Amino acid sequence: MGGFLQSNSAARSAVCLNVTALTTGKGYLLNWSCVCLPWFSGPLNLCSGEFSLNSKWIKIFVLTISKNKTFLSLFFFPRNFFTKRTKELKPAVQSAPGWKLFGKVPPRENLPKDSKIIQQEYEARTGRMYKPPPPSTRRKNIEFEPLSTTALILEDRPANLPAKSVEEALRHRQEYDEMVAEAKKREIKEAHKRKKIMRERFKQEDNIASAMVIWINEILPNWEGMRATRRVRELWWQGLPPSVRGKVWSLAVGNELNITPELYEIFLSRAKERWKSFSETNSENDVEDVSASVADREASLELIKLDISRTFPSLYIFQKGGPYHDLLHSVLGAYTCYRPDVGYVQGMSFIAAVLILNLEEADAFIAFANLLNKPCQLAFFRVDHSMMLKYFAAFEVFFEENLPKLFLHFKSYSLTPDIYLIDWIFTLYSKSLPLDLACRVWDVFCRDGEEFLFRTGLGILRLYEDILLQMDFIHIAQFLTKLPEDITSEKLFSCIAAIQMQNSNKKWAQVFASLMKDNKEGDKNHSPALKS
Amino acid sequence: MAGGEGPVSGVAESREHLFKVLVIGELGVGKTSIIKRYVHQLFSQHYRATIGVDFALKVINWDSKTLVRLQLWDIAGQERFGNMTRVYYKEAVGAFVVFDVTRGSTFEAVSKWKHDLDSKVLLPNGSPIPAVLLANKCDQKKDGSQNLSQMDQFCREGGFIGWFETSAKDNINIDEAARFLVENILANYKTFPNEENDVGKPKLDLDPLKAESKSQCC
Repeated sequence: MGGFLQSNSAARSAVCLNVTALTTGKGYLLNWSCVCLPWFSGPLNLCSGEFSLNSKWIKIFVLTISKNKTFLSLFFFPRNFFTKRTKELKPAVQSAPGWKLFGKVPPRENLPKDSKIIQQEYEARTGRMYKPPPPSTRRKNIEFEPLSTTALILEDRPANLPAKSVEEALRHRQEYDEMVAEAKKREIKEAHKRKKIMRERFKQEDNIASAMVIWINEILPNWEGMRATRRVRELWWQGLPPSVRGKVWSLAVGNELNITPELYEIFLSRAKERWKSFSETNSENDVEDVSASVADREASLELIKLDISRTFPSLYIFQKGGPYHDLLHSVLGAYTCYRPDVGYVQGMSFIAAVLILNLEEADAFIAFANLLNKPCQLAFFRVDHSMMLKYFAAFEVFFEENLPKLFLHFKSYSLTPDIYLIDWIFTLYSKSLPLDLACRVWDVFCRDGEEFLFRTGLGILRLYEDILLQMDFIHIAQFLTKLPEDITSEKLFSCIAAIQMQNSNKKWAQVFASLMKDNKEGDKNHSPALKS
Repeated sequence: MAGGEGPVSGVAESREHLFKVLVIGELGVGKTSIIKRYVHQLFSQHYRATIGVDFALKVINWDSKTLVRLQLWDIAGQERFGNMTRVYYKEAVGAFVVFDVTRGSTFEAVSKWKHDLDSKVLLPNGSPIPAVLLANKCDQKKDGSQNLSQMDQFCREGGFIGWFETSAKDNINIDEAARFLVENILANYKTFPNEENDVGKPKLDLDPLKAESKSQCC
């Protein structure tokens, strides 16, 4: 029960609390063996206390008895306070006698007092009930906002000890002032930063709002006439407003296949029949005497079921019981009936999911089927290996052109595009980039076509070039198959913009076409690792 | 002993090995989960489907003078990708073939995966790379599935060096299976003429064979 508070000037900056606590009904009755608090400059005798804590805060009442005075003081600390070295907190003591509330005007009537009264006073002063601040701001409060720190500090040494010298008192006061000033400065800086972020967000929202008006009132009504104009293309690059995104994607992808909503319904009902018969045969016997093609199709249906729950799992909307689970199932099922030659291929679930997030069901299906009918997507989803090699080879031509140093670095590890590009191209970046950023890539992909998928890949490599140059094979491979989550659209798009899709005056399509020709003539393969 | 990540010990004669290990098997059998459990000691119901290939690195302080870096290649399970994934098999020295004990069809596909493996990659001496069969999701097993001697026989006939019942969810037998595979890979290394005997002798007294609820053949 008894004990003492002691400070050791050498250890002032190292805050430590070493207590043996006896549990009492409410909190802990303390047996202080040693407490070194940074702002104590002299030893105190005979101190007993009680402290209580919740998960994040420690509240300490300390009753200090010295020869002729008794102090009751109250401290609040974040739990991690005692294990953390806090350089910010320097000794700070004012010359006026007694204690003062850290960072606040000192209460003068400082004699024996019930801890509750102190707390009430504190609450009245700060205008709030004592409650641990909300989780997100807890640490900030301590580090940047001295005003919310409620520790009482001793301004003078207790009467039983030699008083501070004038110089010492002055120095302590100065240190205290500096500390408060420093913390205030930081507080202001933080506030400025927050304001700046808010300003940027408002600006962005304004931009989106005004862009939306332009898209709805001017561009969409005159789509064919305006889509290729410079102004529209520039606006398009900035990112489509979410409210028109689906519409613009639909228009840009087009409907070469002339799929109608009715046709979708027909394929959907076929898919449903098939699921029904599949679940029946499956429960009776383990799919044995069925022909290979039927087994394949059924395997496709089984795969869809498995993959749907693994599509954007963190959103919890495509999983079983989620609002879009059946929708995703329907679109993918209808597609396997519409294109049995392609069937379901992993990666499709991500593409369908992104479309479902932006379009109505039938429109999502129409866009999905047409998107997968583009040459590049068809090559990948049919796993046409030789065509995929052409795409990788074309990618490498522009890789070498734009990022020669990194290109050589990758070469030295035989790190070929099939290590990282497969995932990026199959899912159109929807798995590897944050969803909002992936949608922005889709925006420009709808504008520029397949070339932009490869340009985005180069943009990612450029963004992380410096880091990648320091890495070896396995770390590059791990990095590129799991990109950092804090990647921002500003940074990525400025890197993509810096990628020149021009190789000795040849554009992507020309480079690709000449690779196709080369290969027909049995020429060399540009992706050595893929030679089999 | 094995299993911890850490720096190379400062012993002069210490050896470092880099082994490429493939993890293959049907879609959704838990390949990614097994790797995450093994490397990061984590399990989640919410892994995304693997497209193409994912990677992980496990550093093992095998013994006082042997450091093993396991490069794990987590290969997408859809059969359709078969052709495309040939390049991923190159230079692998070991493999896990995984199936899901709750889905019979994934066990039926095991032979196909093993055959695929042997047709795409061989050890420098021309023999198949050591492969361990993992019967995953054993925490959800309905009783009365394969019996142990049948599995042993299946392994012998299929050319697996052993099999383990595993659960990434409950962390059952994953470290044991990995240790067993690495022992075999190290033993293969010893037999290569250019590798001499300075490969830290893999200690065989680690008791990998006594982990409960599994058996091994060969």
